[in-house]
Amino acid sequence: MKTNIKRMSGCVATANAVKLANVDVICSYPIRPYTGIMSELARMVADGELDAEFVLGEGEHGQLSVVYGASASGARAFTGSSGVGVTYAMEVYSPISGERLPLQMAIADRTLDPPGDFGSEHTDALCCRDQGWIQGWASSPQEALDLTLMYYRIGEDPRVLLPQYACQDGYFVSHILGDVDIPSQEQVDAFLPPYKNHHVLDTKDPVIIGPQMEPEMGPGTQYQRHLAVEGMYKVFEEVHEEFADVFGRKYDPWLEEYMTDDAESVIFLQGGHAETAKNVAKHLRNLGEKVGVVRLRTFRPFPTKQVRETLSKFKVVGVVDNSVNFGISCGAGVLLTEVRAALYNNDKKVETVGFVAGLGGAMITHDEFYKMFDVLKNVAKTGKNEKQSYWLPFEL
Amino acid sequence: MLEQIKSIKKAPKEEYYVPGHRTCAGCGPALQYRLVAKAAGKNTIFIGPTGCMYVANTSYGCGPWAVPWIHAQITNGGGVASGIAAAYKAMIRKHETDAEYPNIIVVAGDGGSSDIGLQSLSAAFYRGHNIVFICYDNESYANTGIQVSPTTPYGAWTTFTPAGPVVPEGRKLMPKDIAKIMAHGHPELKYLATASIGYPLDLMNKVRKACNADGPAFLHIHAPCPKGWSFPAEKTIEVAKLAIDTGMFQLYELEDKQYKLNYKPDKIKPVSEYIKCQGRFSHLKPEHIEKLQEFANQRMQEVGIEYGIPQLAE
Repeated sequence: MKTNIKRMSGCVATANAVKLANVDVICSYPIRPYTGIMSELARMVADGELDAEFVLGEGEHGQLSVVYGASASGARAFTGSSGVGVTYAMEVYSPISGERLPLQMAIADRTLDPPGDFGSEHTDALCCRDQGWIQGWASSPQEALDLTLMYYRIGEDPRVLLPQYACQDGYFVSHILGDVDIPSQEQVDAFLPPYKNHHVLDTKDPVIIGPQMEPEMGPGTQYQRHLAVEGMYKVFEEVHEEFADVFGRKYDPWLEEYMTDDAESVIFLQGGHAETAKNVAKHLRNLGEKVGVVRLRTFRPFPTKQVRETLSKFKVVGVVDNSVNFGISCGAGVLLTEVRAALYNNDKKVETVGFVAGLGGAMITHDEFYKMFDVLKNVAKTGKNEKQSYWLPFEL
Repeated sequence: MLEQIKSIKKAPKEEYYVPGHRTCAGCGPALQYRLVAKAAGKNTIFIGPTGCMYVANTSYGCGPWAVPWIHAQITNGGGVASGIAAAYKAMIRKHETDAEYPNIIVVAGDGGSSDIGLQSLSAAFYRGHNIVFICYDNESYANTGIQVSPTTPYGAWTTFTPAGPVVPEGRKLMPKDIAKIMAHGHPELKYLATASIGYPLDLMNKVRKACNADGPAFLHIHAPCPKGWSFPAEKTIEVAKLAIDTGMFQLYELEDKQYKLNYKPDKIKPVSEYIKCQGRFSHLKPEHIEKLQEFANQRMQEVGIEYGIPQLAE
């Protein structure tokens, strides 16, 4: 397959995907680090490379309001944010999925305040994880581009009609250059048909969108949204297969496994830190250790079945949480609780250890991953898992 | 272009705000909606931020509109309208639709306009989208059970401004002037007017001018609320007219950067005439009524009503 490889950041890769998706309405507001996506899109519009309305939001709440209206009118819409910007828009997320509007929001992660630095932390996006949106993390600029195209396709599928958070770690993915194979417009057009929604604001066919309902109508309304989310598993798999056919890049929709054959201990995580973990696992493999890495690609819908089946192959799983979830069970993070829930009532006992790491945008260093693998090795050897979670670097 | 309506008898027969809502008897905002929809016509999309005109209209998952309607949060009527405007602009330019650009009209309460929705409204007007934003002003958060809003008049009782020995006048602050806020500081503004359900022909023609304007247009529509203001349901129009006749509300427009006063009462009545028929002012003492008169006089003078205004006691 012909390639067109260019070196670019995650932000620029996302902007290229938005352009290829022929988006109609974009709404911006500046906050680091996702801003790089918007400044690239603004340039594309100014230079005539992309024909879209570029609307200057007055804040993130305004951004999500604009794309809500645009998507309800039948336009393909795009927005994005980071950190406290993501949480500022919180009110509007549920109405967007509730009205089944398949718009897309890129999130390049940033910590909430405190610490108020510009560093990456998954807390921002994970605060919104249960709003009826698709959510997953890219671990490279190439995957950032691919995720944007795949998510529009999945979200706009008439069986789904749900919005999407296409997430990437701030800086570690959003601002670090990688090789990106930019597909042709013909390939994208073959993969992503124009957005058509059967209920849009059209004066020739009036509809009422978002009326208030009585309490008795609530359960059915929420159940429909639940069914839409649950129905996505099949669509995810179909779309990933088709993506591989058109673009020649094959991703497992749920999990990426690295050196997991015959592994006893694995690190389980999502996002760009997986690249560091893989480096360490590779080195340990060279030293004869039976270790590997499993990277979660899709957080919502959570692939319960696939996580259970895959992790059942191992003795110990170390789950790395790059978010704060104060007071959560086991004192770690939401990824650990999801993994433990997936493994509950499993025939095979798999030990899990939580690691909270990389907070505030700190690197998760090679050294830290070595220490994590050490803990896992010890649990595998002794069968004892007394301290169930560790906050790095303080507790390890 | 929507033509000006020459007389009330020549108003269109077609209704786009139709029976099937659950507003209170004598509801001013509901009548306002009917007149707005009638004037704007078929090629209209309404945006309904949370407020009475969302809650009372859309119960049971349906709504009384014969044109498209979409809910907005109470916070974001301006933003949602901006998105619709941007979408239609892009889709028409890119030949993705054969639709004619519609009238995009936000019908927001005073809270959704002058309070929690102000940021979204101001941003939409700053950006210059071709939309109409209507503040139907019933001077309180009414569907939540009558709480004070920025447009509640001085001295009015609400459940958040009850009168008592420590706060005898109830509402202590003077109201925000949302029309003036919108008139100054939004360079893209193309048309602005105030209107009242007591003057339906004037109201409908202002809606049409707002729809015709090639850019953002703002209408501040006074819409009395029998429940919130405590007056009998059959007195809504009477109260609306009294507000104009006492100078508590003024009818004017801002067109081509020029203010024009649309109606000047022959004889301006004292505000005591206006408040005596409303339970929300029943606790006021003479010194409070005097303060309210001072407010009305100031507002009238601002829009050029100089003569015949009631004298203040020295």
